Amino acid sequence: MTRSAIILVRIALLLAVLGAWEVLPRAGIVNPMLLPPLSLVLKTLGEILRRGDFQEAMAVTTAEVLVAFVIAVPLGAVLGVLSAENEYFGAIFKPMLFYVFSIPKSIFLPMFILVFGIGFGQKVAYATFSTIFIVIMSASAAVESIKSEYVLVAQSYGATRAQILRRIYVPSMMPILLETLRISMIFNFTGVMISEMYASRTGVGHMIANWGENFMLPQLFAGVVVLAVAAMSFNELVRYMEARWSTWRS
Amino acid sequence: MTRPSPQTVRRLIGLALLIAWEAVPRLGLLPELFLPPLSKTLAVLWLDRFIYASALLVTLYEVAIAMLIACGVGILVGAIVGGVASIRNLMLPVFSSLYAVPIVILYPIFTAWFGIGSESKIAFAGVYGFFPVMLSTAAGIRTIDEQYLLAARSMGATLPQLIARVIIPAAIPTVLAGLRLGGALTIIGVVVSEMLTSASGIGYLVTMNRTILDSPRVFAAIIVVLVLSIAFDIAVRAIERYTLVWQSAGRRGASSSTAASARMATPAAASAV
Amino acid sequence: MEHMAKLNRRPEHAPQAAVEVRGLGHIYEGRDGAVPALTDIDLTVPAGHFTVIVGPSGCGKTSLLMMLAGLRTQTSGTILCDGRPIPKPDPERVGVVFQEASLYPWLTAVENVEFPLVLKGAPRSERRARAEEMLNLVGLEGFGGRYPHELSGGMKQRVSIARGLVQDPPVLLMDEPFAALDEQTRMTMGHELLRIWSQTSKTVVFITHSLTEAVYLADEVVVMSARPGRILDRVPVDLPRPRTYQMMATDKFGQLRERIWHQIRDTP
Repeated sequence: MTRSAIILVRIALLLAVLGAWEVLPRAGIVNPMLLPPLSLVLKTLGEILRRGDFQEAMAVTTAEVLVAFVIAVPLGAVLGVLSAENEYFGAIFKPMLFYVFSIPKSIFLPMFILVFGIGFGQKVAYATFSTIFIVIMSASAAVESIKSEYVLVAQSYGATRAQILRRIYVPSMMPILLETLRISMIFNFTGVMISEMYASRTGVGHMIANWGENFMLPQLFAGVVVLAVAAMSFNELVRYMEARWSTWRS
Repeated sequence: MTRPSPQTVRRLIGLALLIAWEAVPRLGLLPELFLPPLSKTLAVLWLDRFIYASALLVTLYEVAIAMLIACGVGILVGAIVGGVASIRNLMLPVFSSLYAVPIVILYPIFTAWFGIGSESKIAFAGVYGFFPVMLSTAAGIRTIDEQYLLAARSMGATLPQLIARVIIPAAIPTVLAGLRLGGALTIIGVVVSEMLTSASGIGYLVTMNRTILDSPRVFAAIIVVLVLSIAFDIAVRAIERYTLVWQSAGRRGASSSTAASARMATPAAASAV
Repeated sequence: MEHMAKLNRRPEHAPQAAVEVRGLGHIYEGRDGAVPALTDIDLTVPAGHFTVIVGPSGCGKTSLLMMLAGLRTQTSGTILCDGRPIPKPDPERVGVVFQEASLYPWLTAVENVEFPLVLKGAPRSERRARAEEMLNLVGLEGFGGRYPHELSGGMKQRVSIARGLVQDPPVLLMDEPFAALDEQTRMTMGHELLRIWSQTSKTVVFITHSLTEAVYLADEVVVMSARPGRILDRVPVDLPRPRTYQMMATDKFGQLRERIWHQIRDTP
């Protein structure tokens, strides 16, 4: 299949899914109480986007996501580079990290609530906690991915430490770093969502959890659509940057 | 000065953490509400062992069904996506784009659809575990060395023979890595959904005791979940070792690092929870 | 072993061509339209002969080999293997040894060798005995239980050769089988291959980049041009057999090597 054919088929599939979402509940094949037709969801979406409480919730959620991201990524990156650069440090902590990485983070959510309450700080703390391990692991993988020959060649031409950092480390690590950025955002966003859904007074996650409990499905679907579109947009943006940066990689 | 081996240091750190868990609250450095002493936590776990055991049974039942769904459907779809080039080109980018969506936001929909009993947990955890299994099965099949297939064809292998004798054994390491992650995620998915809305299971005990500020019982439930997920990991690793005797140490290292990078790539996302 | 004794000599006069290629051409659909890969290939390999094909990278040597194995279909012309066309792989007529050993890492050496027989559904005892016999032939007695990662590069290629021979096909195709080996192992393996060949009287078509290897092994060296691949020259190698390492130092060897080198170098 050519590229344009693939895109056409994808659009056709998307239209089919959206069409089914509209037609099936309207025709009564699916209970419209359980799956509100697309048009109703979109209409509700327009309404909630204009609502003050939803806009406020969006602002809170966005702030939580950004603050946690700004804390977790640089901190995790520094720790990751350290654990890759210092062999002894790495030998001690890397297996522990793998171990911590594989256990469910959400189980510690109650601890964060006991310590931080259920406000802004708790959301940021929990999201940072659930993001930082993946950042550490990918950052150290990024350092390890640098071929030692590249560094050797640069050294043989008399490159300084700063030059090696700028000319070898940064370009070699860039694709992985961008990928890390993308994936840590997924972790981060999930962390904020789950802590908002679990115990909160505001935030979009809190609102959709409430709509679900009160069986307000058009609102619930509209909220899920907003969140999904936001998550996918960020993801695609970074992927686009990844693609531009990685052209030299086969 | 000789430095102690990393493993020794790790053990010491682990031991220190356990001691700190006991000592810090006892010495009043942290209120017991934040961190109840280890001994107290274990004591309530023993005291309430029947409550925890029956909750664990509910959780295990949900995990088992969700895992069956996630692995069965995941391997099937993954094999199709990985094996058929046109479907792969069509769907793989779509899947990895969808993967950016925190799956947990779907849980309110599942509770609205299936109620707050086991069904919604199974549905949610099934979806949760499905993606890594599907993606790594697809990757496992797609990355099979072309030469393996060529050699088998030169020896006159038919398509069913190609699938049974070359494609499946060659894909097993990657698929197993996916099952390990997918299985771990179904456990997480079940516990998380029990924590969010439910009336039974280990996750429910966590939330219920948190609301009444009974910290020791919250931590007791945390211990149960940790033991469960560690036990699962050990079990799958044992299966891997048994199945993959043919892999060299180097290759095994390579495959576990592919597993690690697979974790870091798209399938990883979900363990954010 | 009775089986091998029977095969133990090589016919002095080839009774018929084991591989016959007439007017073969191949065009493949590239990104920028049709690309001619091979043109006007005529090739006759008499039964029991050792023919080596050399040529620059991308000249279509491997494509030609794939077609001889029935793994790929040519655009035009005919191929006869053992007197009949080969529209699909037929391991009883043509065995193939690939560049990378392409052994299945999840099978032991002996299981790899018996793999073609498993595909055919041969009874277990029979195929195991046959595979062991082949392992002995290639000098790997006692290594059958090892997994590929436990074997050296040279040993892997021995297993690969054993696998190519296990169904006793009259024709053996080899696609740069020793390219990944170090120089010393490569020489040893070439020598071993000649020993195995003389014991089994197979018709061998062998592809290589190494001119020394080509002259050392071949009855005839076929020189191909860069894309579109065509045959530039056919150089008979009339060095006596069995070949020895000392022959490489002779003038004759050097002249043959030189002649082939000029052919490749002088053609754009």
